[in-house]
Amino acid sequence: MTISRRGRRWRVAVVIAVLITLHFYIRPWFGGGAAAPDLLMLAMLLVAIRSRPGTAAVIGFTVGLVTDILTPARFGAGAMAHTVVGYLAAWGRGLFFPDNLLVNAGVFAGGVWLRTLLVLIASGAGLAELGRVALVWSPIQAVTTAIAGVTVVVIFRDWLAIRLDE
Amino acid sequence: MRSSAGRSLTRSDTLLLGICLALSVALLVLPAAWAEAFAAGVRGTALAPLVWVNRNAEEQRTSRLRLRAIAAARDSAVLAAQSLAWLRAENEQLRGLLGLKARASFPTVPAEVLHQAAATDGRTLLLGAGSRAGVGVGHPVVSPDGLVGLVTSVDGQSSIAMTWAHPDFAVSAMTEDGGVLGIIAPAPSASASEAFLELRGVPYRDTVAVGTLVLTSGLTGQYPKGIPIGRVAGVRREELGWERVYRVGPLANPGRVSHVLVYRVGRADRSNP
Repeated sequence: MTISRRGRRWRVAVVIAVLITLHFYIRPWFGGGAAAPDLLMLAMLLVAIRSRPGTAAVIGFTVGLVTDILTPARFGAGAMAHTVVGYLAAWGRGLFFPDNLLVNAGVFAGGVWLRTLLVLIASGAGLAELGRVALVWSPIQAVTTAIAGVTVVVIFRDWLAIRLDE
Repeated sequence: MRSSAGRSLTRSDTLLLGICLALSVALLVLPAAWAEAFAAGVRGTALAPLVWVNRNAEEQRTSRLRLRAIAAARDSAVLAAQSLAWLRAENEQLRGLLGLKARASFPTVPAEVLHQAAATDGRTLLLGAGSRAGVGVGHPVVSPDGLVGLVTSVDGQSSIAMTWAHPDFAVSAMTEDGGVLGIIAPAPSASASEAFLELRGVPYRDTVAVGTLVLTSGLTGQYPKGIPIGRVAGVRREELGWERVYRVGPLANPGRVSHVLVYRVGRADRSNP
């Protein structure tokens, strides 16, 4: 059965809506700590690798703005970091076709790690904090998010399959 | 033709990236008051459903998973309360003898802490209580362990608290016996996960022993007097022989706290005799 492009987009939209709801409903059950998977970031990356780089930058900016509004320690830092990561994720699609689970996991983990690093740099964090978060906490969150991301991709494999004509 | 179309699309992507980055930089340099007003407005409207889901999840998690801990804490509180009436009577009697007016009591609002995924969570906290519950800007935030911070932004259903881990945080403090006064602020390299503060402005002649409890002094009127902040962990540095800066281990950990109390107090009422 052939699904139209609009149908595929609706399916992706449903997965994204589920992820956003889970981010705000499930994360507290993990204690909301720094190691819990970032499902909002995962949703952004799933959309970004299916979009043009410019569109992905706008989506990243929007998601970053939401994180800034909910955690306004340094307003604008999240928007900037998510914009860069969103753009790079979409741009990277041209270098590697992300239909492989390991590549997907790498994109999710790398995106989370880079985002956290950029947020801290834009927030004016000291070298000690930067090193500790970049080497300890951010990799842990990157791994948990990658595991969550691979699980989502496996469960919704047909819905999230990337077509070259998109 | 194809190459030309491809180039124009690439340019549009770069243009969108540039616009988003320019907007991000504009947000970074936006005055804090404007940013907080904007964030509170969006939190209270467009993001209100997500904050509501977040708050309900936190309530359900704590009501199920922490029931045993809450029961244990309640039992301890009952035991402590058994001697409270006697202490209160003695306190009133002594205050009467010294001619002091009655100690002010401050109403509080309980609030869930809605932790976010951002790396800077812990410097600011999203609280599940807002102006409808009586929370206002400048209200102190405490956990059962000690001072967490103060409210910086409020909307109807939620609020943002700046914690002691935020670089802009400062509070007037004193030692438990009231003998040494100073200013508590986060250490420059500290973060929410690395928990320590600095007690600054202590004259060189004054010595504070390791383990001394540090409390809010109430001098600036921002915080009520007597809220525990932390314990002295040692001397951090000495400033040219006229001031000592002490390292203080905070009692409350903003990165892990799940429930807080917000003191509903006006600035004028905060300093106690």
